[in-house]
Amino acid sequence: MALNIIVLIKQIIDIDQMRTDPGTGIPVTQGIPLKVETLSKNAIEAAVKLKEKYGGKVTGIIFGTEKSNAAMKEAYAMGVDEGFIITGYPGNNPSLTAHVISEKIKSIQGFNVVILGNQSADSYTGVLPGLMAGKLSLPLLGNAVSIEEDSGSIKIRRALEDRDQIVSAPMPCIVSVTQEINQPRLPPVLQIMAAGRKPINTEQASLIDLPAGKVLSNLAPKSERKRLIFEDVEKGSEEVAKIIRGEIK
Amino acid sequence: MKFLVFSDVGKNVSEIATKLRDLGEVHSFTLKSQRDAVMKSGSKKLVLLDGTSFSGNVSEALLKSDLSGYDYVFIASTPLGRDIAGIISAKTGNMIASEAFDFTIDNGKIRTKRFFFGGKTIMEEETGAKIVTVSPGSFEPSESPDSPAEETITLPGSPEKLLEEKDREAGGTNIESAGIIVSVGRGIGSKEAIEKITPLVTATRGELAGSRPVCLDYRWLSEERQVGLSGKKVKPRVYIALGISGQIQHIAGMRGSKIVVAVNKDKDAPIFQECDYGIVGDLFQIVPKLVEKLKK
Ligand SMILES: Cc1cc2nc3c(=O)[nH]c(=O)nc-3n(C[C@H](O)[C@H](O)[C@H](O)COP(=O)(O)OP(=O)(O)OC[C@H]3O[C@@H](n4cnc5c(N)ncnc54)[C@H](O)[C@@H]3O)c2cc1C
Repeated sequence: MALNIIVLIKQIIDIDQMRTDPGTGIPVTQGIPLKVETLSKNAIEAAVKLKEKYGGKVTGIIFGTEKSNAAMKEAYAMGVDEGFIITGYPGNNPSLTAHVISEKIKSIQGFNVVILGNQSADSYTGVLPGLMAGKLSLPLLGNAVSIEEDSGSIKIRRALEDRDQIVSAPMPCIVSVTQEINQPRLPPVLQIMAAGRKPINTEQASLIDLPAGKVLSNLAPKSERKRLIFEDVEKGSEEVAKIIRGEIK
Repeated sequence: MKFLVFSDVGKNVSEIATKLRDLGEVHSFTLKSQRDAVMKSGSKKLVLLDGTSFSGNVSEALLKSDLSGYDYVFIASTPLGRDIAGIISAKTGNMIASEAFDFTIDNGKIRTKRFFFGGKTIMEEETGAKIVTVSPGSFEPSESPDSPAEETITLPGSPEKLLEEKDREAGGTNIESAGIIVSVGRGIGSKEAIEKITPLVTATRGELAGSRPVCLDYRWLSEERQVGLSGKKVKPRVYIALGISGQIQHIAGMRGSKIVVAVNKDKDAPIFQECDYGIVGDLFQIVPKLVEKLKK
């Protein structure tokens, strides 16, 4: 059956480009470009693949800022049909994020499945899927490495700590995906250009007062490695073997 | 204080209970299959959940266990554990402090330490959170002579259905306590090539581990050998990284190592910034040399 899919998209700073001050360990976030978060790309790819297979529609939601247009355009280029940006993102506070996004989802009629990444690459709390399931009182199929529709149900494969499972849940439901589920597409130039012209719906979040944690410190751990690098393989092996031998018990 | 501890992995319950039992009374919840791993955790009460477990019905069972009677709920950050923490947070309105690898409790506030920015920084937070997800392997479990009072609860039915389940052979490896670790990355190229690394593992009396792609994408090694932000946090005397580029998410799992050795054919690989000794070159040439020299 055709699927009405909602995909949750996070925009983050490009942490690969983020440096930390070598002296103080303070992260330098100023001037670092924004990008679509890694797992969100997997979620978009999974949503678009389902639409391509079964028909239907993909709606993207970003809880972000005025600067989130670029991320939504990228999502459009990948195949998202309609997009909502909710501005007012105050930083990492999963309970608040879950509140804002679940309120938005309640206004979308007749959706079948909400797809999101299982743990985002920057804050990495991993609790948003559960929070969303709790807020919307929907079944959660967590940590999917594959998704399909099966006569009115969603069926996923997943790896838990010590076992692999195939599980299903009736729709509507929530599915979180891991980065192993797919290789997100790189959209062709034509699609990127078309995406630039597509309208984006922007609205202001109605924030509620939820206490965020007090950050006491957020610093790069000191790395005091020796960094003795050998380009001479023979000499390097000799030296390294000596070091290792001293540690074998 | 009174604590509720849950994990779908018994070992993780014991890790957290060991840390908590000096601070107050611990009631541990786990799946029935995990009973043996929790019996010596020093819990006052052990509740075994019987039946097919999903994030939904386990959350329901926990919510029914009068959560308001506990000062804190600690849940191990496994795939299932994170989902459950989220659900009970939404249902109770209590905040979560997530992914803690260390914590202290003081005057109704909890201070937690966790990785942030993908592992580039360590964030220390003080929150009024009542739910804490704990990164597995953060605490050393120790056995307590006190046995818990046992109780079994049948899990409620659920809209989710289990269609198929396969246990992965748990090799029982515990790379978290290894003294020497030989860790392989995508540079190893194939599952078969791991045989060429085994002599080094033997010569060092080490344990084999790997990066996320090796363990999860290609499944050349089992998942329990994955090192990194989303895998195990290890602290061996020597960590030997072979064909691992050294992305921050990997480094976050091996930062506690005493000595880090890296072998990579790309001299600009970031792993060389995070090692004590590095050799630039083909790992398939270098590994036999190391083995030969170690045998001498
Ligand atoms: C949210 C999140 C969580 C993550 N968690 C983890 C985690 O827990 N653990 C983890 O490892 N990763 C994790 N990752 C993935 C991480 O970002 C990297 O993609 C991954 O660590 C790369 O693995 P690799 O070094 O094996 O592969 P690559 O980055 O592909 O590196 C392979 C290296 O091998 C070298 N090489 C190739 N052939 C040879 C040869 N013959 N001899 C010597 N060297 C050779 C290459 O020069 C290259 O440097 C996570 C990512 C995200 C977004």
